[in-house]
Amino acid sequence: MTGFETRTSNAEAVNAPLAIRAEDLSKIYTGEGAPVTVFSGLSFAVEEGVLAAVMGPSGVGKSTLLHLLGGIDRPDSGHVEILGASLDGMRPRDRARFRNENVGFVFQFHHLLPEFTAEENVAFPHRIAGVPEREARRRARARLARGGRAARGHHGARALSGGEQQRVAIARALARGPRLLLADEPTGNLDAAAAHSVFELLRELHRERRMTTVVVTHNPDLAARCDRLFAMSREGIAASVRLPERG
Amino acid sequence: MRFETAVALRYLAASRRRAHVALVAFISIAGLAVGVLALVVSLALLSGFQDRIRRQMMERTAHLRVSPARGARLAEPEKVRAALEKLPGVQRVSPAIEGRAWAFNAAVPGVVPVPVRYRSAADRPSAAHGAVISGAIAARLHVQAGDEIRLASSRTRLSPIGLLPVTAVVPVDEVRLGSALDKPGEVEVSVETARVLSDTATGAGAYEARLERPAEAERAARAVQAALGPSYRVETWRELNGPLAFALRLEKAVIFFTVGLIILVAALNIVSNIAMTVIEKKRDLGVFTAMGAAPASLERIYLALGAAIGAVGTVAGIVLGAGISIALDRYGVVPLPSDVYMLSHVPFAVHPVEVAVIGAFAFATAVAAAVLPARAAARLAPGEAIRLSR
Repeated sequence: MTGFETRTSNAEAVNAPLAIRAEDLSKIYTGEGAPVTVFSGLSFAVEEGVLAAVMGPSGVGKSTLLHLLGGIDRPDSGHVEILGASLDGMRPRDRARFRNENVGFVFQFHHLLPEFTAEENVAFPHRIAGVPEREARRRARARLARGGRAARGHHGARALSGGEQQRVAIARALARGPRLLLADEPTGNLDAAAAHSVFELLRELHRERRMTTVVVTHNPDLAARCDRLFAMSREGIAASVRLPERG
Repeated sequence: MRFETAVALRYLAASRRRAHVALVAFISIAGLAVGVLALVVSLALLSGFQDRIRRQMMERTAHLRVSPARGARLAEPEKVRAALEKLPGVQRVSPAIEGRAWAFNAAVPGVVPVPVRYRSAADRPSAAHGAVISGAIAARLHVQAGDEIRLASSRTRLSPIGLLPVTAVVPVDEVRLGSALDKPGEVEVSVETARVLSDTATGAGAYEARLERPAEAERAARAVQAALGPSYRVETWRELNGPLAFALRLEKAVIFFTVGLIILVAALNIVSNIAMTVIEKKRDLGVFTAMGAAPASLERIYLALGAAIGAVGTVAGIVLGAGISIALDRYGVVPLPSDVYMLSHVPFAVHPVEVAVIGAFAFATAVAAAVLPARAAARLAPGEAIRLSR
């Protein structure tokens, strides 16, 4: 963690307007067995335009945290405010529309829909927003072309390599021009070269668009290239801020 | 096309690549198609017979009948006749005379007589016409067409040796077989014979009219009722045959609901098929949610899947059912003993309205079958769906 200064509360690092403000979050999974407390009393904040990495051992709730921040899951207690909008009181339909317009998700296993082509996958966020099919596909083609993947647009998701699948997944996450990108171990399933390439793509996109990006990763080298590093553990989350001279 | 419909159609089309899902999808569609087919063929069979009954109803029943609101005889028969004859498109106006009698075999003594109800038939105006009897009476009297029967009325006349029943000997013109319109103990005779038997030289208990366009009988009835006033009862052929028409409708409804049970059983397959797809595509639900799809949108995907299965199964069932029915009717595949039924083969008639009702019922059932799994899909925790699908 050379180059980072560890702080006990990331609130001190906050100078710019906040893109993410999560306070006192707790999440408990109640399945068939005993309830499992994933975390409790967790607070987390990221300023707008920051590329942040979240690291921590498996099972501390990194993915769950991303799901709460993206509003696809709800905390059992606590508050989540994204881009100035509180997700707590939003109706499911409004939360879905907010997510469609403002939040992009990238998953470890790309989660492209195998029945559809790459182009169709990238067009989905537009289709969900009600954009007519022809226009949605035109926009998807343009998005894929920007990543140099236009020629692969008509291939089924299964026909693509791991790296290509993840690039298409990133194109899909960016389809609606979100202001917040949440990436859950986007390179976790790739070889070193593909992981490097995908991560560089994320950095490049972040630089271009200045969108707030939170990346969950187990790779310390990739995390070291982010603006912020958050170390997550059973005890909570500690913020590390990149020292100015390393920027 | 909405995104939900596009996803549902792709799921259905892609299911053939996964053997177990393909099998369940095939069973769902085939089950529904078989149910629809069975219903179309069953109703076509019923319609085939019922259409013939309705045709006979139109041909043999008076289209309008005017009788006194109270009493057994018309007070002003000529006024009634004139009102009916004034109607546009009226073909024939005739008196309706009815009564009770005993029927005897006129040639062979010793045959047990049969109690009958005679009535005048509009198409048999003169004494030159004989009687039309049912197959049951013919069998009991041991007569056939061409033989003679003696009708002894319940009315009597005074003779030098006392009171004697009024009788008439008439030839049997026709023996009717296997018609639902025929009442076993009824004999149709000419108007003149009926007048003799009932001792009604003039007037009548009622007047009947046949119209060029029977479908307009209700309008004609209103006009006659307005002309004659409330002391007369005016009935159309639909009202006169109301009980039979009701029985035919009831028969069809019972067949619809009993054979329709096959469609309900097929709907259970659809429930399991869609529930299986929901489980298999759990991860997709999470991904759609992450992309901004609302729970209602996820529900619509599976309702659209139910609708797609319903549409394919329904169309297949209708095409097969209608095709089979038309072929069975055209080529007379199912023969009938013509001496019993007056038909050489089982008739089938495909009615578009009935097919539309069957189609709507099957389609609605398929969509309804999708409601429960679709709601379950909308209630799934998307975060968990993504987390558990790694």
